[in-house]
Amino acid sequence: MNARLVNRGLDALTWLVLLVMLSPILWLVAASLQTDGQLSRGAYNLLEPTFTAFSRMWQTVDFERYLLNSLIICTAAALCATAFASCAGYALARFKFRGATGLSLGVVGTQLIPGSLFLLPVFMGFVWLKQNTPVALFDTHLGMILVYTAFFTPVAIYFMRYFFAAIPRDLEEAAMVDGCTRFGAFVKIVLPAAAPGLVATFVYAFLFAWDELLFVAALTQENAETIPIGIRNFIGNYQERTAQLMAAGVVSTLPVLIAFFATQRWLVKGITAGAVKG
Amino acid sequence: MASIAFEDVSKVFDDGTRAVDGLDLEIADGEFTILVGPSGSGKSTALRMVAGLEEASGGSISIGSRVVNDVAPKDRDIAMVFQSYALYPHMSVAENMGFALKLQKVGKAEIQTRVKSAAGRLGIGELLERRPKALSGGQRQRVALGRAIVRSPEAFLMDEPLSNLDAKLRVEMRAYIAKLHQELGTTTLYVTHDQTEAMTMGDRVAVMRDGKLEQVDTPEALYERPANLFVAGFIGSPAMNLLRGSAFEDGVRLGDQRLPIRTSHRGDVIVGIRPEAMEPVSESGPGVLELRVVLSEMLGSDVLLHLEAPTSSVLTGDMLDTADDELPDDTTRFVARVPPSLRPDPGSLVRLRVDPDRVHLFDPSSERVIGR
Repeated sequence: MNARLVNRGLDALTWLVLLVMLSPILWLVAASLQTDGQLSRGAYNLLEPTFTAFSRMWQTVDFERYLLNSLIICTAAALCATAFASCAGYALARFKFRGATGLSLGVVGTQLIPGSLFLLPVFMGFVWLKQNTPVALFDTHLGMILVYTAFFTPVAIYFMRYFFAAIPRDLEEAAMVDGCTRFGAFVKIVLPAAAPGLVATFVYAFLFAWDELLFVAALTQENAETIPIGIRNFIGNYQERTAQLMAAGVVSTLPVLIAFFATQRWLVKGITAGAVKG
Repeated sequence: MASIAFEDVSKVFDDGTRAVDGLDLEIADGEFTILVGPSGSGKSTALRMVAGLEEASGGSISIGSRVVNDVAPKDRDIAMVFQSYALYPHMSVAENMGFALKLQKVGKAEIQTRVKSAAGRLGIGELLERRPKALSGGQRQRVALGRAIVRSPEAFLMDEPLSNLDAKLRVEMRAYIAKLHQELGTTTLYVTHDQTEAMTMGDRVAVMRDGKLEQVDTPEALYERPANLFVAGFIGSPAMNLLRGSAFEDGVRLGDQRLPIRTSHRGDVIVGIRPEAMEPVSESGPGVLELRVVLSEMLGSDVLLHLEAPTSSVLTGDMLDTADDELPDDTTRFVARVPPSLRPDPGSLVRLRVDPDRVHLFDPSSERVIGR
């Protein structure tokens, strides 16, 4: 009887914690379905939701542009990071070469340095390039793609290395005996077998790039601004469009939620890969 | 089909381990040869060198008339069956089997015909659309074999293909592979650590230890005429009894017992007696050993008697892995295979007549067989 009560209590506690964690999202969705007036008065009417904020947000701020920029930059950066990490991760998982241990340690080591430390050097580099060369990286998609790729590649290498290490060598050897070159075996057999890892790595990089504010705020001005910048524009010096801000929040969270739930199984596997196969 | 030849082949790994040392071996066209030996004997490395998955450090490896040391695995025209089966997880059974043909740019219709024919032969015709994860161990094994035979290669290389199967299935597949070889007649090099597989499947068996070839011969010859102590202890199940003895003019003494075996050798010898080379008798006499029973194991068709050996026994080959800790060290291991009618109680004495023609003598220092 006591054990049953304890179990019930733990269940209730779990639901309570979940509710607390979900409350910002619930509040975000609820607030996006109200008017600014209702929000400023605190008089929520959940029974009569309005979608006005969702239709007006596109006119108040050029949100479409931010959304498009985010999609382009995050997708490209996640793709590049995953592609580079696949090559490096495979090399670290399969080959013995001079400097392999150093490279592995370096990959993990980069994660110990706060990312914001790189902001000023990167900013100065971009400015220098703009002033002295025809290479335009400041406020361009390419610039942000390069920055995010560089940021997420080390973690992605760490992920992919463990995914590749878990794939039996026999598979690629069988492919080589069957008629593949080593590269052919990598492309035709190893990569498809590592598909969950590739998806997990891609989604991980995509989610982090989607949220990133610090670098995009410093390295863009107009052309390559992403959603985190766009959302701030709903709050100005002279007016606050809180309902639209919330609606934009919902719209920008949706792709992330979809990506997360669609790939949740692989993502969890990817994140825990290092822990269990070390 | 083609022959396979190793000429003074060696393999030294980066850490200095000499996995294969001066291997000379020729597998004739259409022959089924088994490479057998304990773990670390270099048998798998030798096989992988034929496949091109390991580079030979010295010597030459030929397939047919072509030296293949510098030929990529894909260009060697061999098929390999792995211990883990190595089926491609993202492909169906049919795609797995047809993968090599697809790489060779064989037409789709031709691939389909050959895959279906091979699948029919292996009894996996109804599994062609399934993925490997939906197959049992035995079915995966057949698919792996199918992937090899569908190509009609110059040679099959098999790396312990049965070791992941349960005992019953292993016996079934053992006969199946042997039958398949009879039908196809493709040159086959088969690696195993299981001497029963070696004895039952191969035309010839090559026994390896520490990277070196100890003896290569037919299974019968290896069993009847082992060249050295290692082969004597490794081939045969239960293993040959190997006892320390002394050779005199009147025969070979084992402790206070004597066997009437003539040899020109004098002094210490190691006496090898197969469990099958003895028969129970009721009377003492020349060539009869009187031994105390430790344990009897009923196998159905016959009984294995574990006896107190007349002198200390020698452990070698796979016996080192299976030595029974519960028996005393100095008079450890002596096994006789007797008819099931004989079930003596532990502690009782039995008399066993040793067939002198089936006793092997070995030099304790060189471990080579002593001619008689």
